[in-house]
Order: sequence, then structure tokens, then C-alpha cells
Amino acid sequence: MSLAATRSDAQNSFTRLANGEDLATIVRPEEGLISRRIFADPEVYALELERIFARAWFFLGHESEIPNPGDAITRVCGIDPVILVRDDDGVVRAFLNSCRHRGMRVCRTDRGNLRFFRCPYHGWSYRNNGELLAASCENHYGEGELDKGKLGLIPVAQLGSYRGLYFATWDKNAPSLEEWLGDMRWYMDIIFARTGELEFVGVPQVWDAECSWKFATDNFTDNFHVFWSHQSLVQIGLLPDFPDFAAHGHMVTAGNGHILHFVQGAPGDETAMGLGLPKSMWQCFQQHLNPAQAEIAMNHGYSAGTMWPNFHWLQLTTAADIETKPMGILNLRLEYPLSPTRTRMYSWFAIDKAAPADYRKASYENYVRNFGPGGIFDQDDMENWEECTAAAVGPAAKRYTLHHRMGLNRKPDPSWKGPGIGYPDSYGEMTQRAWYGEWLRWMTKPLATGGAPR
Amino acid sequence: MSAAAVKSAVSPAACAPGTPLYGEVVEFLYHEADLLDTYRFGEWLELFAADVRYDMPVRTNQFRAAGEGFQEMAFFDETFVSLKTRVKRLETEFAWAETPPSRTRHFVSNVLVAPGERAGELAVRLNFMITRTRADHGYQMFTGRREDVLRRVGGGFKIAQRRIFGDQTVLTNTNLSVLF
Repeated sequence: MSLAATRSDAQNSFTRLANGEDLATIVRPEEGLISRRIFADPEVYALELERIFARAWFFLGHESEIPNPGDAITRVCGIDPVILVRDDDGVVRAFLNSCRHRGMRVCRTDRGNLRFFRCPYHGWSYRNNGELLAASCENHYGEGELDKGKLGLIPVAQLGSYRGLYFATWDKNAPSLEEWLGDMRWYMDIIFARTGELEFVGVPQVWDAECSWKFATDNFTDNFHVFWSHQSLVQIGLLPDFPDFAAHGHMVTAGNGHILHFVQGAPGDETAMGLGLPKSMWQCFQQHLNPAQAEIAMNHGYSAGTMWPNFHWLQLTTAADIETKPMGILNLRLEYPLSPTRTRMYSWFAIDKAAPADYRKASYENYVRNFGPGGIFDQDDMENWEECTAAAVGPAAKRYTLHHRMGLNRKPDPSWKGPGIGYPDSYGEMTQRAWYGEWLRWMTKPLATGGAPR
Repeated sequence: MSAAAVKSAVSPAACAPGTPLYGEVVEFLYHEADLLDTYRFGEWLELFAADVRYDMPVRTNQFRAAGEGFQEMAFFDETFVSLKTRVKRLETEFAWAETPPSRTRHFVSNVLVAPGERAGELAVRLNFMITRTRADHGYQMFTGRREDVLRRVGGGFKIAQRRIFGDQTVLTNTNLSVLF
């Protein structure tokens, strides 16, 4: 469906805000004009919680984080707390992390191996498959007052996995994960299956920033901020001193708001090849990917992708310090709102299981020094997101739009071999416009119908 | 080298509170904090040994039986060269997270000094608190335990190890753009 068609539908819908403005009028992705109002406004935020965070598919965790029966981690699905657990029979499940009795949180460690979840409040205990094993003071319940068979932990509506990544939704009418990811799976293969399986190493770094979650999502496929936002790294020689250095690539819109890019190094830069992986691993691409996917993996050193709305990969070629050569890192990111102006971020480091030990160590060091809250890349991004948010709170600012018009008239590259639409020149805002287009669809779809807004 | 093989010549009594050695350690720590709070990052870097190990592991919520909850993964995992990289970055005009700079106050307390595992080294445990104010925002605070190893070099010390064990599992303070 075209963005323009979405607008005319939306104008007949229920999307009028309290001040009389219509969301579809103030958010115009097809023109690259996005109202500042949507970033820090409590009314828009309340609508987002119901229309996006209660319905969409969200990333919970990777299979390598819960390898053994009983392994459990606490995450969120949307913004609701969940337990992702591999039960005693090896089945991966996800439940609302909340007792059926008074709603107390039942899993109170971030990561562990647990056979039972026992509520601290009255002692209700659940097996790790969610079944209620024991309530408390059961002899005081009369006939029909306690139906334990119906009081298991509340499961997510759907749980699915692709390439080891577990996603869930609270909407039983949502399309299947496979259908929802659609063409994005073709690109996810390049990142998550290029050499076989991946491992998420250790635990994620988790931190909060005083920003709108959407300024974070907006940033991930933005290539042309790198030269200036991360100019300190240009100055000390960690990035090329060449404003167009990340412009040699393609921006891709893969449908359903999923967006990505693949970027080559600056001309003559041979380090930004093969996704930054050591040459000894490049032969794996042919083995695990189809020829078109393998060619993309071979020829690029940078890629970012957003699985709509808030899960991202960053496949980059960076240097761990001023004396180390650039190499690959794979960083996975998730952010979700705590309020209109506060966001919680998760950042994971992942490595190919086939990677040699020295590369694994070097890539980890590269990751931890550049990314996450202590990373010399990431720090400056958060400064931007916080200050953009602070400036979007006031009533005057909310009357104005932000500018997302780069490449508005750019023609797709017919020679791009992947699915979706590939645009030449990786400096452009085609991806963000597609993201906001999807946001508008979800925000303007009446709730009663359920399912993805199509 | 086996850690136990070469014990420090320093006796526990020689570095107890009130001794000249204890006082020298505390003064060194205060000097370091002063350098950081007055943006003298180049001088701060000179306090570290070339083979320093500097890290800040990620903490998770765990039951007490599982220990303090520090896991595989770190917020910092640094060498001398990567610390130098951070300092060089902060000295540009373009490290936006610290441009204009935050105001910090580095506090150290509860200092315990013991003989180190290697000759000429002291093991120093302490509590730290770092406050930061930035732009027109309110206070942010970082607290935790630090485990430093100070190596006697000439008439002074070099920091041969710094392990930062933070209290927060979720950092609520935007980023770690200030030096620890």
C-alpha cells in the first residue's frame, strides 16, 4: 500500500488528537515531514502503547542465551515484563512475569537456571513450563474457588523464532512471525547465518537515557550522521577523514517497515569487506548463503537493519583503539520506552560460532570499546537523542516538522539483487521514511480488527 | 609468574591506616580524582602502567548464593592504548557527549590497602562515588567498589590494575562518557 493511500484512509479514522490535529496530517512520510509532536507527547505515547506495543512482534532473546533446560532470562515483550525460558522438556516459552494471584513479579533474577518460579507474595509456585504447581493455603479454598489448571502463567499470544532469534507478540491475530518478517528474512540470513550459527556473548548491557525511543530507532540506518556525530573518531584517525566514506552502498526497504543498508568501505578501503570477518571465514558465505546473499556479504563492511519497530543489527568494521586495525563487530540492539521521554536500551555482542578464538577476542574488545554506554561511538549518539527529545517537549516546537527528505525523489537501483527496494547511494532517508510510514499505519489502524494493519 | 610465588615485601601492618604508606596511597587517589575533576586527562593517563588492565564488568540481579552477579561482558575492558584513545577523543572539540564537558566530582572512601600479589605492588580496595551534572540537567551518580593495584615506580605509583564493580545492573545515567 502506498503511503499516500494510507493517508487518505487514516483521515477517515479515529486518529484525531486532543488539539484537533490528525496524526496522518502531521506525519507525512511520503513528503519526508514528521511532526516533532510525536516524539515527546504523552497523548501520542499513550496511543503507541496500545496500538504498537500491545500488538507488534518484539525481539525477546537469542537461543544461545538459554541453551539448557531451565535457563531463564527476563526481558520485555513490547513494554510488558516477560520470562523467556527453556522448560524442563527443552521447549522455549515466554510468559508475562507476573503471578496470576496478585500480579507480583515471579522471576526476580535477570538470568539463571530455574525449575520453578515462586511468587514471593503468597508463595504460588509455577513449573518452568508455566503450569501452576501450588497455590498457598489451598485447604482454605472452597469448591470451585481455585482452578489451578487455568491459572498458569500468562503466555505471550504468539512466540516464534528465526535464525535463533526469539520474537513474541501479545496479539493472537497478528500474522505469523515468518509472514511478518517477510522479505527481511533474506537479509537476516546474511547477518545471522552467514557462517552458520551465532552466539550472543555473555549478558546484554542495559541502560536508560532521557530520550524518546523513536530518536534511537531513527538513528540506526542513518549513515550520514556518522562523519559528524562521530567526528571525534575522525579526528583521532579511527574513521576516514572523508565525508562520503559511508555513502558507497544501498539503502533497502524490505516491507512491513523493515529497513536496512549495506555499505562498502571508502574507495580503496579493503578492510571493509566480507562484513569485517577474517578472510579465512569468507568461504563460509558460499556454504551458508545463496549466491546473491554471499555476494552482498563479500562486498560490504557495514550494515544496519531494523526489524520493525525496535530491534536492530549493527554489523560494522571499526578499530578497537588507535593502534589496532579495523575489523568486524556484530552488535544487536533493542530499545523500548519507559515514558515519552525515557528509553531503556539493550545492547548485545554476538560472534560467529565458527570464528577463530583470536578474532573472537579482538572483535569483543572492539565492540566493548566502541559500543554500549561506555563505547566511544555510542556515547555521542545518546547525547543527540536526549537533546533532540528535550527540544521536542515544548508546545511551540510541536508545531513544526523534522526534515527527512534526503533522497525523496531517488530512483531504485534495478540491479540490486535482494528483495524489497534497493536504492543506490547509502546517504539518504528512504529507510526512515519507510519506518515512519509503518508507524503511521499501526497508529491509524482501529484496534478492534486486530492483526497487522494491512 | 605464579601469583603466590613473589609476595610483596610490604607487611599488612606497614600499610594500615595511619601509616605513611597508607597516607601516600590515599594522597595518590585524591590526586587522581583531582586530575579528573579538573579535566587534566593527559596527566591522568600518565598514572597508568603500560600493561594496565582496566575493566568494569556488567552486573545482573542474582540470588545471593550466585554471588555478586557480575557476568561475562563489560562496560569497559581497556588497555593503556584504549585509555589513551579515550583521552585523545575527549581532547578533540567533537566528543559531543562531553562537549561542552560534564562537571564531575570523583569521591573515594573506605580505602583498604593490602600487600599486592607481586613484589612492589599494593592491592587497594575502595568505594567510589562519581557525581555528574551536565548542561542544565540534574545530578547523575555512579557508585561501586574499585579494586586497584598500585605498583611502586620510582618515588610514586602507577596503576597496574583497575577493576570497577558498579552497583547498578541497569545504568540509569545515559552513558559512561566520564572517566572512572
